[in-house]
Amino acid sequence: MVWKAGLIGAIAVAAAFAAPVDAQAKDVLTIDLVNEPSSLDPHGQWNPDSYYVYRNVFDNMVTRDNDGEIVPQVAESWERLSDTEVQFNLRDDITFHDGEPLTAEDVVYSVERITDPEFASPQLGQFDKIVKAEAKDDQTVVLTTDGPYPVLLPQLVKLSIVPKHVVEEVGAEEFNLKPVGSGPYVFEEWRRGVQVTLTRNEDYWGDKGAFATAVFRAVPDAATRLADLQSGAADLVVTLDSDQARQLETYPNAKPLIVQTERVGYFAMNSTKAPLDDVRIRRAIALAIDKEGIVEGILAGGEQVVGELVSPAHFGWVGDIEPFSYDPEEAKSLIAEVGEAAKTPMKLATSPVFDQKIVQAIQQMLTEVGLNVEIEMTDMATWLRNQQVSNEEAPMLTFSRWSCACQDADGIMFPLLRSGQSWSRWSSDEVDALLDRGRSSLDEAERLEAYGALHELVKEEVPLIPLYQAAIIYGGNEALEWMPTANESMFLNRMGWSE
Amino acid sequence: MVLFILRRLGQALIAIFGVMTLVFFIQRLTGDPTYLLVPETATQADIEAMRRSLGLDQPIIVQYMSFLRDIAQFDFGRSYVQRIPVTTIIASRLPYTLQLAGGALLVSFGLGVPLGVVMALWRDRPATKLLTGFVFASQSMPTFWSGILFILFFAVWLGWLPPSGAGGIENLILPSFALGLLSMATFARVTRTAMLDELSKDYVRSARARGVATPRLFWRHLARNAAIPVISVAALEISQLLAGAVIVETVFAWPGLGLLTVQSIVSRDFLVVQGIVLIGAFVTIALNFTADILYSVVDPRIRLDGSRP
Repeated sequence: MVWKAGLIGAIAVAAAFAAPVDAQAKDVLTIDLVNEPSSLDPHGQWNPDSYYVYRNVFDNMVTRDNDGEIVPQVAESWERLSDTEVQFNLRDDITFHDGEPLTAEDVVYSVERITDPEFASPQLGQFDKIVKAEAKDDQTVVLTTDGPYPVLLPQLVKLSIVPKHVVEEVGAEEFNLKPVGSGPYVFEEWRRGVQVTLTRNEDYWGDKGAFATAVFRAVPDAATRLADLQSGAADLVVTLDSDQARQLETYPNAKPLIVQTERVGYFAMNSTKAPLDDVRIRRAIALAIDKEGIVEGILAGGEQVVGELVSPAHFGWVGDIEPFSYDPEEAKSLIAEVGEAAKTPMKLATSPVFDQKIVQAIQQMLTEVGLNVEIEMTDMATWLRNQQVSNEEAPMLTFSRWSCACQDADGIMFPLLRSGQSWSRWSSDEVDALLDRGRSSLDEAERLEAYGALHELVKEEVPLIPLYQAAIIYGGNEALEWMPTANESMFLNRMGWSE
Repeated sequence: MVLFILRRLGQALIAIFGVMTLVFFIQRLTGDPTYLLVPETATQADIEAMRRSLGLDQPIIVQYMSFLRDIAQFDFGRSYVQRIPVTTIIASRLPYTLQLAGGALLVSFGLGVPLGVVMALWRDRPATKLLTGFVFASQSMPTFWSGILFILFFAVWLGWLPPSGAGGIENLILPSFALGLLSMATFARVTRTAMLDELSKDYVRSARARGVATPRLFWRHLARNAAIPVISVAALEISQLLAGAVIVETVFAWPGLGLLTVQSIVSRDFLVVQGIVLIGAFVTIALNFTADILYSVVDPRIRLDGSRP
């Protein structure tokens, strides 16, 4: 107790000492990431620690505002020319950090670069529906897709425009080390393993950043990130859990920043194999999992139970499907109906990346209603491979979380439910037809109707069980003004500071 | 001497070759890095394309042969994850590892050896019991715990030092102590034992009988004779400081090789791991070699033809 009081006193003293320094030097915003970016070439990687940084250096084709609506960025407006062609009219006042203007050539180059199989971008799968990019004039680009593709705009939210003249001149490797973009911040320095420094682009065409300099550091240990926040060494830190968020609330100089993301937690079952080929067993599992208990008792970080395999942040969320209630008695009687077959041993595949408290709780819940479930732990690469093999080899049970980074139902429901997809253990003509309609119809009402029908089928046939919409927790200095968004972006020019 | 060096060089080459082969195959047994590089939504065709571009679609023997060919030309390849040469990545981390190892060595050697001497010379005094307690405590505290305690106390509470990161000398102090205290205990114990060993020998007794003062006895005889075990331990401890700093590096966000190793293993960045292991093997062998040479410098009775007294 004395220790604690002393600690709080010390924090107050530290804060008092830190304050004047902050006031004069709040041109530097320090952000603690978990790891350093793997690459700052926006086409060369796919991980949050990278895109937190490079999305401030580059402009994207379009972007999402804080409400999640798609709004213009490089493309000022767009119109559909045909089922497969969309024309984008670009802003004419964007210049790269080296002073050269951003033109249609750069957009075409960016599309061709990221879709070039030789370049092997990890993001290839998000853009490979685009078969042609053509510059009509300096400010007009027409993108052609290999069929009607309603998810084109949500994907283009992630298409960073790189300068053709720079990349071609210096090559991919040099560009990765010294990226040149057109965004609100200019790349300054990358001290490998330590930090990336960005400076404000004073000539930015849009909203300029509030901080003259931003420093992104790699701090792998969450307890250290908290200490950095507490001592004022960092102003914003990523990836905290709910215990740490509660701890933050007791600090006088910091606060948790929580947002519901587009990541959906779900429980998958290999319905091609006994006993999971029996809908009664699948329904029993759905009834046996205490979703509220997981969300409130274990996660306790702002997650929401969902009854659909999407979140409210997705297009395709209907919102009127009730999640399965928690009813272990009903689950037991369904299992009793099935009889001996229900006792077949089943493996629950997991890896250390997933919250083991949840995995163990689910195993416990399923064991309590009489199922025979064993946890099988592998490393992440093995887990990922096992998910993407044949129905025969795939794990029986899986707890997982899915984000398509596109906020569209197609990005999550198609890979998980369409027959023949590597992640899918389901095969139904009706579901396939609806998924195909959702993927190819350009009529929003028709798409929404298709996803509504799919949500009902998922509830009825239980190919897998939607659990919750995941939240993420950041920690910020008390003075930091920032609203985190569902797509896990970190735009510096949307942040402010008020002492 | 020349023969000794040549033989050791031959052994070193065989050892390095063995280590590299082992690492090559063990890593590839653990699975395929491609899945970790692409988003969940990637199709099988995307995954295949990625695998081809990394050269992982080739039969493992073909991969191994081209690996040996590259290594022979000192080409360590490019990181799958960061897409830049492995040598660039390792070269950027090595200075930090050396700084931390140096700082930790200063703490462990600078504190450990004098403590060991004191504990041996005045082994019956009550104050020595306290020192023994301190040494035991340092050895028993796990670094992830002592590290975070140091941060809370010196950075958050007192505000004297930065809590994490790398930069100036002030960033180096806390991690050096967190890491160094652990091997400090080893140095203290080994020094103490070696000293006690020497103190019980006849020449010490007769020297004392002749009236030789303790300081002179210490500097002229004891220090030199007790140094051998300390040197052997130092070789081991230094290679451990270079390799085993993972936890301290994680806690203090110190960008050294240990942290890089773990991150590269987790992301299956094979070529980076191979590069680090090669350096590790090389350093360990070099340190042991240096220790062997030092033995003969400190104690001329040891000759370098492989026979030791």
